[in-house]
Amino acid sequence: MYRYIIKRLLMVIPVLLSVAFIIYAIMDVAEGDPVYSVVSADASEEEIAAQREAMGLNGSLVERYFRYVKGMLTGDLGKSYVSKRDVMQTYLTRLPNTLMLSFVTMIVALGISIPLGIIAAVNQNSIKDTVSMIMALLGLSMPNFWLGLLLIIVFSLKLGWLPSGGYEDGIRSIILPAFTIGAGLAAFMTRSTRSSMLDVIRQDYLRMARAKGVPERKIIRKHALRNALIPIITVFGVQFSNVLGGSVLAETVFAWPGVGRLVVDAIDQRDIPTVTGALVMTTMLVTIVNLLIDIVYAYVDPRIKSQYVK
Amino acid sequence: MRDQAVEKKERASQKYKKRSSLMSIWRQLRKNKGAILGIILLVLIVGVALGSPYIFNYEEQVIANNIKQRMQPPSAEHWFGTDDMGRDIFARVCYGARYSLAVGVIAVMFALVFGVTLGAAAGYIGGVFEDVTMRVCDIFSSIPSVLMAIAVVSALGKSTFNLMIAVGIASTAPFIRVARAAVLTIRGEEYIESARAIGSPEWLIVVSHILPNCVSQIIVQATLRVGSAIISAAQLSFLGLGVPAPAPEWGSMLSAGRAYIRDYSYMTLYPGIAIMVTVLSLNLIGDGLRDALDPKLKR
Repeated sequence: MYRYIIKRLLMVIPVLLSVAFIIYAIMDVAEGDPVYSVVSADASEEEIAAQREAMGLNGSLVERYFRYVKGMLTGDLGKSYVSKRDVMQTYLTRLPNTLMLSFVTMIVALGISIPLGIIAAVNQNSIKDTVSMIMALLGLSMPNFWLGLLLIIVFSLKLGWLPSGGYEDGIRSIILPAFTIGAGLAAFMTRSTRSSMLDVIRQDYLRMARAKGVPERKIIRKHALRNALIPIITVFGVQFSNVLGGSVLAETVFAWPGVGRLVVDAIDQRDIPTVTGALVMTTMLVTIVNLLIDIVYAYVDPRIKSQYVK
Repeated sequence: MRDQAVEKKERASQKYKKRSSLMSIWRQLRKNKGAILGIILLVLIVGVALGSPYIFNYEEQVIANNIKQRMQPPSAEHWFGTDDMGRDIFARVCYGARYSLAVGVIAVMFALVFGVTLGAAAGYIGGVFEDVTMRVCDIFSSIPSVLMAIAVVSALGKSTFNLMIAVGIASTAPFIRVARAAVLTIRGEEYIESARAIGSPEWLIVVSHILPNCVSQIIVQATLRVGSAIISAAQLSFLGLGVPAPAPEWGSMLSAGRAYIRDYSYMTLYPGIAIMVTVLSLNLIGDGLRDALDPKLKR
């Protein structure tokens, strides 16, 4: 097991470096030459060169990238062009908000999708199944930010139950954004739970349990669901990246002070160091979470591990 | 007499052969009520997209400001009401179908051509090339696709074409995976070996024997991806990174409506319904095609 974990940890290093490089290179194209927006119009060649060096923009793309990575290792992602504050610090003050939103989103998505998927699979082809599947299909087809707008219209403007944005109301402010991101995820997960349950329900060991006289509820809960959950967990891990992506939209709609809004605002202000830093950190987070899920998964299912360690 | 019998037999076998491919898919699809609904909806939407330049005058009805008519609620004259510039929302929603469909289809075509070429090459050549391609593919899928598209648009600048490129890049990875997996299963088949034995060049084997056999999976993937590409494009436009104003793109219409959500909530209703119905029709067709092509999946 340790060998597997070490091997996976080592494999993730080149992946992280390439992710950072791809984003760094893309944002470098976006940047153009920001020196001219800082220096005065009649600046001499030397002044421009000095300013460029001060901003860390001298040297080739690869040189600058390695300098960036070196800074990253010591927690330095550069300074924002706009607020002049440290990008890493800004990111870290925003990150807990986004993580909290993601966490509630996942609870919402699991809370809806697992019961719905089980009901649909157990009552296959019944009206309950059809209704759940239609709901899932609608959830998959609906753009999340539009759902967010509809939720605002209904629950904050018409009914006045929940705030339409901000974060001052604690748990009450998080409900609508979490549903906004969670609905699409729940729709996807309902479908995977259903098909995973349908696979398991046909297995011989369930027929055996039934033949022994185990009550139907217990069969579903103990025998079917436990086995059906394994593929569901993997799907869920992959979806973490979509939750973070979805939070960009939901945070904009609900004025939630998270990483997603940080990126959108920074793009509006052409604040490239902030955009690069936030994108790099977020994708690293996704990669590391996926790695952790893989490790947990290998722990549960020894067949995975054997692919890496012979 | 004998000739007639032979001819009849031949005709029957030809008929059978035809039925075994496209026809059988269609026969399966026809039984699926959802897929039929999807096809009807999509035909309507494509009809609206193609017909709207003949029904509406783009300059006068779709983008021209008409402040006197500002913020009219839905009525017989303005079916979906008018927006903050006094433009008819119905005309704009209809015209918007052109943008969404064009962006969705072109972005996915880009992803398909690029992804299938890379994936098929990776699966067929194998070795280091395959390893590198698949690692790059993993890297791209670990970047959330919205963030990826945001980064690409902010690098290339805001325009409709760049939006297509950004959404296309963000949806390439699944095509690489599907094409590679399909090629890997087909590569070992005996008919590929026999094609090689009679001296077919490698590229011909890939193009005429391997790719046609994974077309079905790629079509399913493409249908479903057009739907998600339309949503991604609307998301980017909503964030102000997509089709520039005053073009009637559904996402940017929603973004404009958001400012007036308190008093004129109808502005945010219709463009969203349009996106949902379009994506729903594509999802229904994609699901139906998948069931029709692989009956094992159908339950």
